[in-house]
Amino acid sequence: MAREFTRRDFLKLGAMGAATAVMAGCQPPRPWITLEPYVRPPEQQLAGVATWFASTCRQCPAGCGILVRIMNGRALKIEGNPDHPLNQGKLCARGQAGLQVLYNPDRLTGPVQQSQRGSRMYEPLAWEAGINTLYEKLAAAGGRVAVWTNSTVSGHLFDLFQRFSAAVGGPSPLVYDLYTGFNGYRLLADVSQELFGRAALPTYSLSHADVILSFGADFLGTGLSAVRYGREFGGFRSQPLGKRGYLVQLEPRMSISAAVADHWVPLRPGTEGLVAGALVQIIAEEELASADRAALAQSLIGGLDVGSIAAASDVPAEELLHLAHAFASASQAVALPGAALTGTDAGAEALAAVQALNLIAGTAGEASGLTLSPPSPSEAVLSPEPAAFSDMQALIEQMRAGQVQVLLVHGANPAYDLPEQVGFLDAVANVPFVASFAPIVDETALWADLILPDRTYLEGWGYALVSPSFDQPAVSGQQPVVTPVFDSRSTADILLTVARGIPAAAQALPWPHEVAFLQETVEQLGPGAAGGSGIDVLWTRFQQEGGWWPASPPEPEAPSLASAPTIQLQSPSFRGGEEEYPYHLYLYPSGLLSDGRGASQPWLQGSPDPMTTVSWQTWVELHPETAEELGVHDGDIVQVTSPEGELEAPVCVYPAIRPDTVAIPLGQGHTDYGRYARDRGRNPMQLVGAQADATGSSLAWSTLRVKIRPTGEKVALALFENKVGVTEGFLNAEFPH
Amino acid sequence: MSVNEVEHPVWRRPLLEGEDLAEQAEHLKRRHLLLDPKFPWEMNDDALKPMYRTSPSFWVIVVALSGLVMMGAITWFRQIYWGLGITGLNRPIYWGLFLVNTVYFIGIGHAGTFISAALRVLKIEWRRPISRAAETITLFGLTAAGLSILMHLGRVWKFYWLLPYPNQRQLWPNFHSPLMWDFMAILTYLTGSTLFIYLGLLPDLAMARDHTVGWRYRLYSILSLGWRGTEKEWAYHKTALDIFSYVIIPVMFSVHTIVSWDFAMSIQPGWNSTIFGPYFIVGALFSGVAAVIIVMAIIRKSMRLEYFLRHEHFDGMAKFLLILSFTWAYFYFSDYIVPWYNGEPVMKVVFDVLRRGWAAPLWYLMLFCNLLLPVATLWSRRVRSNTAALVMVCIYIQIGMYLERYFIVPVFLGYNELPFSWGTYIPRAGVLLTIASFAMIILLYMLFSRVVPLIPVWEILEGQIFQGLKRIGRALLPARSEPH
Amino acid sequence: MEQPERKWTMIVDIDKCTGCAACVVACHAENNVPIVTEQEVVRGRGQHWIRIERYWSGEYPHVKAHFLPILCQHCENAPCEPVCPAYATVHSPRENLNLQIYNRCIGTRYCGNNCPYKVRFFNYFDPNFVEPQDQQLNPDVTVRSAGVMEKCTFCVQRIRRAEEKALAEGHPLREDEVVPACVQTCPTGALVFGDLYNPESQVAKLLEPNNRKFRLLEHLGTLPSVYYLKGGTSRVSE
Repeated sequence: MAREFTRRDFLKLGAMGAATAVMAGCQPPRPWITLEPYVRPPEQQLAGVATWFASTCRQCPAGCGILVRIMNGRALKIEGNPDHPLNQGKLCARGQAGLQVLYNPDRLTGPVQQSQRGSRMYEPLAWEAGINTLYEKLAAAGGRVAVWTNSTVSGHLFDLFQRFSAAVGGPSPLVYDLYTGFNGYRLLADVSQELFGRAALPTYSLSHADVILSFGADFLGTGLSAVRYGREFGGFRSQPLGKRGYLVQLEPRMSISAAVADHWVPLRPGTEGLVAGALVQIIAEEELASADRAALAQSLIGGLDVGSIAAASDVPAEELLHLAHAFASASQAVALPGAALTGTDAGAEALAAVQALNLIAGTAGEASGLTLSPPSPSEAVLSPEPAAFSDMQALIEQMRAGQVQVLLVHGANPAYDLPEQVGFLDAVANVPFVASFAPIVDETALWADLILPDRTYLEGWGYALVSPSFDQPAVSGQQPVVTPVFDSRSTADILLTVARGIPAAAQALPWPHEVAFLQETVEQLGPGAAGGSGIDVLWTRFQQEGGWWPASPPEPEAPSLASAPTIQLQSPSFRGGEEEYPYHLYLYPSGLLSDGRGASQPWLQGSPDPMTTVSWQTWVELHPETAEELGVHDGDIVQVTSPEGELEAPVCVYPAIRPDTVAIPLGQGHTDYGRYARDRGRNPMQLVGAQADATGSSLAWSTLRVKIRPTGEKVALALFENKVGVTEGFLNAEFPH
Repeated sequence: MSVNEVEHPVWRRPLLEGEDLAEQAEHLKRRHLLLDPKFPWEMNDDALKPMYRTSPSFWVIVVALSGLVMMGAITWFRQIYWGLGITGLNRPIYWGLFLVNTVYFIGIGHAGTFISAALRVLKIEWRRPISRAAETITLFGLTAAGLSILMHLGRVWKFYWLLPYPNQRQLWPNFHSPLMWDFMAILTYLTGSTLFIYLGLLPDLAMARDHTVGWRYRLYSILSLGWRGTEKEWAYHKTALDIFSYVIIPVMFSVHTIVSWDFAMSIQPGWNSTIFGPYFIVGALFSGVAAVIIVMAIIRKSMRLEYFLRHEHFDGMAKFLLILSFTWAYFYFSDYIVPWYNGEPVMKVVFDVLRRGWAAPLWYLMLFCNLLLPVATLWSRRVRSNTAALVMVCIYIQIGMYLERYFIVPVFLGYNELPFSWGTYIPRAGVLLTIASFAMIILLYMLFSRVVPLIPVWEILEGQIFQGLKRIGRALLPARSEPH
Repeated sequence: MEQPERKWTMIVDIDKCTGCAACVVACHAENNVPIVTEQEVVRGRGQHWIRIERYWSGEYPHVKAHFLPILCQHCENAPCEPVCPAYATVHSPRENLNLQIYNRCIGTRYCGNNCPYKVRFFNYFDPNFVEPQDQQLNPDVTVRSAGVMEKCTFCVQRIRRAEEKALAEGHPLREDEVVPACVQTCPTGALVFGDLYNPESQVAKLLEPNNRKFRLLEHLGTLPSVYYLKGGTSRVSE
């Protein structure tokens, strides 16, 4: 757009001429100026004084409570809500960047349609026309409607989707995105179901722990709740009497969690579960610590050969012994499962081994240790449970077979998230009508026929069941903090409107608008910590406080074994033979871009990655020896090939990674999604195939091998650090830690 | 007879007979300008004629230089409009070519002041024909330096805030800041140099007025301020020049000391060295004298000033250059050995980079240009008598001194106590502006030489009056009488 | 000479910092700090008022990473102050802050050279806030144009607002009323802010006595107002 001619420009031009320093009094030319008296300002507005609104952050599935600073109807700053039980006033980088989701210049300014999918020729149309089109398609489709949404969809919209689908006889809405898929949310819940009798996310309180063994869990970066775990970690390091805990991180590539650990164990990728099992085995065999613990360990496991596990994982047996001792003799010990562990082909067993360790530690249910995320406090409050990988594949099959007539996509971006082999785009070609509700055109909306942009979370209504929730159930509330920036409409309202015209759905969705539905939901919650009675008071308190949580936190549930697990650990089977594909592939979500959804926000793109200090790019991390073998340096572009795909990206020499492993961050490689995301970096999901773990619930991404070939091309790495200074600098410098 | 004739030392000369006195006199006259008088009207002609001589090649060069200056102006406008981002500056290297140029241009200006003021005070007579040509370098060098300072400002249109003027907000500039002292010192030096050169020009402007017509006549009439050449005017003139000479010498010393304090007063490793004051002065004289030699050689050829500029002048300057080379080496050594000895970590890294890192080729080149080459060549009479060789050496000295300033500014700034924030400098827009600055100086000099007589005829006449040949035994010796 | 009423001090607990960069983004949002392009980062012009420096020590597999959040140290004896010819960077002795006055800065960048912590940033270009990003800009903080130096101010705009509010409400400023953006968002609580002159403040209690405390580059005599608490390593016995 044309740059406005400001007074500054005028002064600069003046400086260039003979005279310098044009003084005040010279106004730039303008056709007109509007003067509008502020006779009737909105109720809560005081000039120069900000108003704060409570809402919920939706940059990841956790659901931290936020307060947004509003002045003159503009959202200026997001802070954590101090009263919110999950984050208690703190917020992570992605949460802070939420303002740029709201004020993104590439957002759709209104509904559009695409007569040719993928053409990027979007024709604007009126809302009435758009909603009408949607209605017609839905009415004609009957029960052959599929809904694909993601884990940050508001509970109320998910509820409405579910009711709609049930009413018309269609399949349940599918919740699948890369964040929860990559982190194994479904597997975590499934294994909890199997072990403890309830499908819930496990949570681990760390603030009073003595010993934490993290099996590849980047709990401080992009784990299940980076903010909450951050708070826990702060407490962990500042326990009474100077106690600062002992954290061991077992992962092949150092994340920020490993950076702050007391001991980093660079084990071979895919062997996290094996190592956990070996520790249980050692505790059982050596009868470490108390007799109870040893007995429990013996009942949980048997027949593992610690020596062969030591060889397979590249962790010496003495080290395993040491870890087992440390864990068993601690009074408060916690074991954390990581995404790479759940991403193996035998993730369920691996996870069971880690949970076994927690049970042995005996801290389950205590102030420190393993608990299960509490269930929803009310039937009316729903949480979008991430679907199993196999369920997602089933829907794709249905789509490919032509059994889906209308596909509604909300919040999810499967065209970007999923490996190509999953076949989403092929399947979508067989769906006659695809409607997307994306506020900004992403890779999936590119293949839609109609886009009815939803409001972004700062402009929208809703609620989120905090997930995972550590000590108490909490329903985080979401309300618009500004009037919509662009001409968008709430998807829930559209759904309610459309449902009115479909007889089957009209009864199931009788509400005139979403707020009425939300109010009913809140009423059913009843009074919580904020007290009050009656719908008006409850609704007001819900908005004011930023949600609902119980007046007094319930006793932490002590998960107990419902059934004895059969922990049968095997060596991981890697895709790709060792000769042809000599390196292990280790993918990880970028701490700033997470699974790719952060790529549209310049604050996240432009901030340096904490470990490599690179911004704006994708890179391939190689150990210095590996780089030397291949003859590459920083910025040299290499081609990384797996049995499933390939990509090219520049090298970033990284000292804290196994020499036989290469690591690539997720998040870049967008072809749409706005100017900040588009056409930069690569999406490493191209290297992953469509393989699930043995139970079919989780994408198996962490047991791939790759080969690397230098291409001879170079690019400048956008490093914030001076790498020469940091790596060579003062060679004998004494470090104050 | 050419200046390049090698003269034999005394013990090799043949015994003198009667006519040899004349031969001796011829020798001496050839070698010393002041012993080789011409009629004043002849000298005036020789001084004024070059101003009219503008050959086609002159204009070609002027046009080319103007083109470069225009390119510089456009680049500067672009920089003002878009911001300093078009340069290669970054964090932590906040100063780059602009500061290097500033220091360099102020540096080469010192020779002018030295020759016209210090040599005058020391009564070294061979300074006479070259003083104005050298002062002109000072004048335009300072102009370029001032422009370079303006170029490096982030918001140049506010530069006048550095002037202490009463204002409504009661704000004064910060007199604690070395840049403030810099500003004052350079203004003083520029003003002083301008007045000094103008003062010295007055008699010659009057002479020009009396010998020209048309626009030149009008110009010189105004500029010569009605100089009539009466005894009183000459007396006042001499007094004024004497005072100026004495006064501008400390100004010259203080200016480059203050410029060096831009660096020495900071805490940047490599900059906060207490020896920077005298070190910079010596460096300035070094590069300045070399610049004067180059300019002298050029104008001697192009303006046909062979009568005025002789071997003795080049010889004297070259010997001075040799001394300066040793002095510079001494200060450079002092500046390096102290931090090397105390093993300061950042300087250790810097020395490593200079000795065998990426900067090594440039560093060794600098040492070659500033130390090795002058010391190896300038002792030799052969080299000093060969103008081409001498000019080559001086060009290398310019390169060496420019490199020296380049090391101090953008190279040292790249290293500090927090290695995460080290940096590298790759000059961009600064290169164009540097080329344009040089072009501007040369252009102004060329135009100046066609508007103002570059040779101070009255000074030469004065010298020739007081100089003579005195016979002592069988030898003829140059002798000088003191004016009252 | 003004008597100092308070001494704003920040504590950075290196033992707790995880390098998560929440503080970096929060500061951008609060202080209208522009994000530079990829090309500008390559040229060495990354602009973050608070940055996480990450150093390495040791050799694989015993390599360790160390996070060092660095922001303006608000030195009592600031080297950036005497060298600015325009008085654009001055000290506020009343509260011990190093102030940067944007509209007085003419961009000589001497202060940037003289800062040993390299926490001063120069605006090489005008910021490019593409509509509607300009709606997010904090009206309490100047948007700097090209040619002007900037740096962390300890969120002085928040300090001023709190002071004015306390004045209007008729009570002395309570130090828990002021919190810079980075401190507010830090999930682990590694950043602590307060008035060192107030013996009841968190910073005073944390620093006094503390054998983990140190300041950066103390040998330079800058007297920074940012104290760091050393990290440690735990070991377990067999």
